[in-house]
Amino acid sequence: MGTKFDILIINQNRLKSQELWCDIVFELRWLDQLFNRFDTTSETSKINKKAALTPVQVNPEMWSVLKNCQMYHIRTLGLFDITLDNFSKVVLNENNHTVSFSKKDISLDFGGYAKGYTLLKIKDIIHQAEVKDCFADFGNSSILGIGHHPYGDAWKVNFENPYNHSIVLDEISLKDMALSVSGNTPSYTGHIVRPDAREPVNGRKAISVMSENPLEAEVLSTVFMIASEAEKKQISENFAIQRIVEYNL
Amino acid sequence: MSKKTPKQVDTSLRQFIKDLGYISGGAALLTTIPWLQSFTPDKVREIKNEKARIGFIGTGSRGQYNLHAVMAIPHAEIVALCDIYPPNLKEASAICPNAKTYTDYRKMLESPDIDGVIISTPLYLHAPMTLDALSAGKHVYCEKAMALNMEQCKAVYDAYQKTNRVLYFCVQRMFDKKYIKGMQMIHDGVIGNIVGERCYWFRNHDWRRPVPSPELERQINWRLYRDYSAGLMTELASHQLEVCCWAMQMVPESVVGKGDIVYWKDSREVYDSVNLVYHYSNGVKINYESLISNKFNGMEDQILGNKGTMNLATGIYYLENEAGGRKSGIEQLIGQIGNKLYASVPAAGPSWRPETKENYIPHNILEGEFHVNDGLSMIGALKDGSDEILSAFCQACITGEKGKNIVEEAYLATILCHLGNQAMEEQKQITFPEEYKIPYMKFS
Repeated sequence: MGTKFDILIINQNRLKSQELWCDIVFELRWLDQLFNRFDTTSETSKINKKAALTPVQVNPEMWSVLKNCQMYHIRTLGLFDITLDNFSKVVLNENNHTVSFSKKDISLDFGGYAKGYTLLKIKDIIHQAEVKDCFADFGNSSILGIGHHPYGDAWKVNFENPYNHSIVLDEISLKDMALSVSGNTPSYTGHIVRPDAREPVNGRKAISVMSENPLEAEVLSTVFMIASEAEKKQISENFAIQRIVEYNL
Repeated sequence: MSKKTPKQVDTSLRQFIKDLGYISGGAALLTTIPWLQSFTPDKVREIKNEKARIGFIGTGSRGQYNLHAVMAIPHAEIVALCDIYPPNLKEASAICPNAKTYTDYRKMLESPDIDGVIISTPLYLHAPMTLDALSAGKHVYCEKAMALNMEQCKAVYDAYQKTNRVLYFCVQRMFDKKYIKGMQMIHDGVIGNIVGERCYWFRNHDWRRPVPSPELERQINWRLYRDYSAGLMTELASHQLEVCCWAMQMVPESVVGKGDIVYWKDSREVYDSVNLVYHYSNGVKINYESLISNKFNGMEDQILGNKGTMNLATGIYYLENEAGGRKSGIEQLIGQIGNKLYASVPAAGPSWRPETKENYIPHNILEGEFHVNDGLSMIGALKDGSDEILSAFCQACITGEKGKNIVEEAYLATILCHLGNQAMEEQKQITFPEEYKIPYMKFS
């Protein structure tokens, strides 16, 4: 998925930690095979290549992901859009779990979804392994703090202004919470696109969203980068958000 | 041209040497930079009540830059000004109304009231004017580069061997504190063995000046025409190639390169894009690049060692064992736990992007504030060593003491520029010609 993943597992014996790490890596590889649009053999590439020509049958997990994306598309007033263009042109056939595009030049990009979804699944793996304290960082923009730091009552992270690292914009305590940050950086701007206008967001702006659910945090942090004030208000009512902050960089 | 008042300019060589002593340990310093040996505080005190009588040949933009600098030097007095272009002479005379004006430099050289001349003219005039001035018994300070071609360089060098007069060329990096200190660090092994040198100078400008009437085009835009100038090599690269050899304490034995007019196709005759590789006998190479239709990369004189990198133009160095920069959030977290600390870590932010280059920790070569040249001015930068070298020249006009290494460094840098141009023009590898080698040069 073109990013890095770090995890710190506390209070486990070495063998159990290694087993857990292996399970996580297995899951990461599987999801990369699902979402990585730069890998020509991935499920996403398969859809992007063929769905404009013919309905493409997808595996059960991809099917549930697409339904999930459809649900978030509706709940965010159309602003969450994995096509970055027009999600209504993605046709999902319930009968045989196929996907087709009713418009040329449509393609799927899980850039604003995959990390949150992955972290949600990893949270479940950690829970099943009965790990109480753990900190996971998925490419800085998606962070999960389970339990607490060995010498504190939560996991504390801060957010430095990417345009000036000497300025700390925020400090956030995570206890059984996920954090997602979206925004522009000096070297990476214009990757967040408002689908209806098809215009990239170029301002020096960032959003952080804290939620128990890493996927919802991820979806909302991107959506709030492009939403109007009125849309933000309306969308907020559809989600259980712990904390949401906007930053001028 | 900035309007400098004497108060703003620290032209005191005494202070300069004092500062260098602080940063480099006094006497030991002078053995590694012998061209400063004559400028100890004691020697500066000796000339305190004397003044060098200076004449200016060429009073255009660079000449006026030098004029302001010399006006701020206590041991110098500007007595004569010469230019063939009336507007420039008029401007200079307004700055320095007591100086006598000339339009023929030969006439000016006849004056017995001039100790030394400062030549700030187009490149093609450097050699004839320098030779005439030395013959007339004047001390000479000439802008870089040394001369328009290798034959002229050799003629000037040979004349200098025979004269008892002082000769300086504006190799101002030799008088720039951050270069001096940086070179000491290089020679002390801070960056390990030198394994490569990368110098570049990027601008986005046509290198032209407005011309009041067409017949003055070649006189005013002399940089663009081959009979007057050797282009980017002599105007920009000469400084940087000198730095490379200073760092290596050697001279490259061969050069290959490509030169083109890529963007400014306005009937100019000199390249606006040059890429050269100079090769030392031990395999180390200078990669030189200059382009004047994109300024993204700016200007840098970069010395690469197996243990670090010295960016001399910006005065910053980096060490290889510090690659990776600051520890990541998770590494800081692990460190905290090891130290039983609880604090926030800088983990949150917009998506991490894969990097092709590791972050390094920058270290300043000099402590405190120092000046960095952005490389954009066609005239010259402030506090880049130019004031100090002019001050040193004026002192030498009083004492008659020749400057060590200065002519030699200017000679080798200029010859390297011309060899580079030859390699680009002839499209072949050029080996350093035997007839232009001088005893000062080491090739292995």
